[in-house]
Amino acid sequence: MSEHIVSSYEGQLKTLHSTVLKMGALCESQFSNSIIALVKKDEELIDKIIGKDERIDELEKKVDDQVVNLITLRQPMAIDLRETVSAMRIAAELERIGDLAKNIVKRVKYIKVDLNNEDFSLIKTASELVQNNLKKTLDSYSKKDEQLALSVWNSDKEIDVIINKLLEDFLSNLKKTLDSYSKKDEQLALSVWNSDKEIDVIINKLLEDFLSNMKKEKKNIESLTHLLFVAKNIERIGDHSTNICEYVYFLIKGEEIKGNRPKG
Amino acid sequence: MKNQKIKISTKNLNVFYGAKQALFDVNLELEEKKVTALIGPSGCGKSTYIRCLNRMNDVIDICKVEGSIKIDGQEINKKDVDVNLLREKVGMVFQKPNPFPKSIYDNIAYGPRIHGLADNKDDLDRIVESSLKKAALWDEVKDRLNQPGTGLSGGQQQRLCIARTISINPEVILMDEPCSALDPIATAKIEELIDELKKTYTIVIVTHSMSQAARVSQNTGFFHLGKILEFNLTEKIFKNPDNKLTQDYITGRFG
Repeated sequence: MSEHIVSSYEGQLKTLHSTVLKMGALCESQFSNSIIALVKKDEELIDKIIGKDERIDELEKKVDDQVVNLITLRQPMAIDLRETVSAMRIAAELERIGDLAKNIVKRVKYIKVDLNNEDFSLIKTASELVQNNLKKTLDSYSKKDEQLALSVWNSDKEIDVIINKLLEDFLSNLKKTLDSYSKKDEQLALSVWNSDKEIDVIINKLLEDFLSNMKKEKKNIESLTHLLFVAKNIERIGDHSTNICEYVYFLIKGEEIKGNRPKG
Repeated sequence: MKNQKIKISTKNLNVFYGAKQALFDVNLELEEKKVTALIGPSGCGKSTYIRCLNRMNDVIDICKVEGSIKIDGQEINKKDVDVNLLREKVGMVFQKPNPFPKSIYDNIAYGPRIHGLADNKDDLDRIVESSLKKAALWDEVKDRLNQPGTGLSGGQQQRLCIARTISINPEVILMDEPCSALDPIATAKIEELIDELKKTYTIVIVTHSMSQAARVSQNTGFFHLGKILEFNLTEKIFKNPDNKLTQDYITGRFG
């Protein structure tokens, strides 16, 4: 892509892009820290996460201001318009991810069960999948890689067929998703969008496990109820990540992803 | 787009100014009662193109126009075509308002008089009034029809020129940067007028304002170095153009 004749316009678009990426990086670390804090019940980390949420809100405000400025002063067209509009929508999704991460750590004090126990390994698995997903999504936004995209797209189809390899393939798949955001790689974004259903499957399995655990151990009801919300939050973060993939795809291709969103 | 009636079509249109070729095999089909915007950097051939549509290039000695230009299926790029009749059908509005140094009334009445469109004074009065109304100028000038047209503001003068064009019942109106000398309010009035006029006329507008092209037209053609690089629905051109050069141009990456 050649540069704008007016370099300050070019600069404004680049600043916008990097503000969104900065926000994305912060949300990514808020989420992964929230899971660490959850498992370790680390109060210091919890306070830190809650404190940092304000910074995410500030960044979202900054993105909104930059977008309004661009529309007012530059009247962006075509790719620039899509870049501008997508930034605002992606920022809104990221802000929700930040809120959900904060909500996860707010529940920690009510959760008395040991999350290192094998019974709860799926929480970690799901959060890792979603973290990977988010990372690739953000990657796809900053770079462009058509070939990588294509390979991800193809590997995703096999995942559906080979149930035994489900988990391994997930992991690699989700990794690629987050890549797609920072790489501006729409095919990668597309594959993540598809892989979100795998996360849904795991979350559903989690819910079943929790319910049967509750029936056995009544004293765990409070802990497990909160843990259910944690699981639900993780699943929601996966959904927001998938939404971002849709915007990345739109930003690059100028059209919506075709078909219905895959559901587990 | 396919089902619309084509008003003007050009095939393999090549234009030369002496040895210099200005247009290269331009093939375009312009829809009836639609606004087609032509955009592109200075010197790309868009004005040359619309000047072919009413044979305005005839007045330039060294200019040679080759290829087919059909209006309603009739070839107009041949010797035996009556250019006066053609220009009655295909009117033109220029960049700078150019009213005659006559009264507002006579500016409008001139065309109908020489083309014999009015049988008597009442007829002529009616044509003047309806033309000024269609050009959204009537309310502003009805009490001073005998004052000189050149005394109006720039925006009013441009609407006067549009009224003058309309007065002889053309079918096509060519506009070559009609708002480039006007302030934003006058521009908005012309754009509002274009929206209204497209119900009756086929309009082709050359503009350097990307946002104006996006606002007023249904189809847009992008010219570059005398060639038409992309012709598409206006919405498509400005949201997601197919051609990289189109995108670079409309987003301000080259000029």
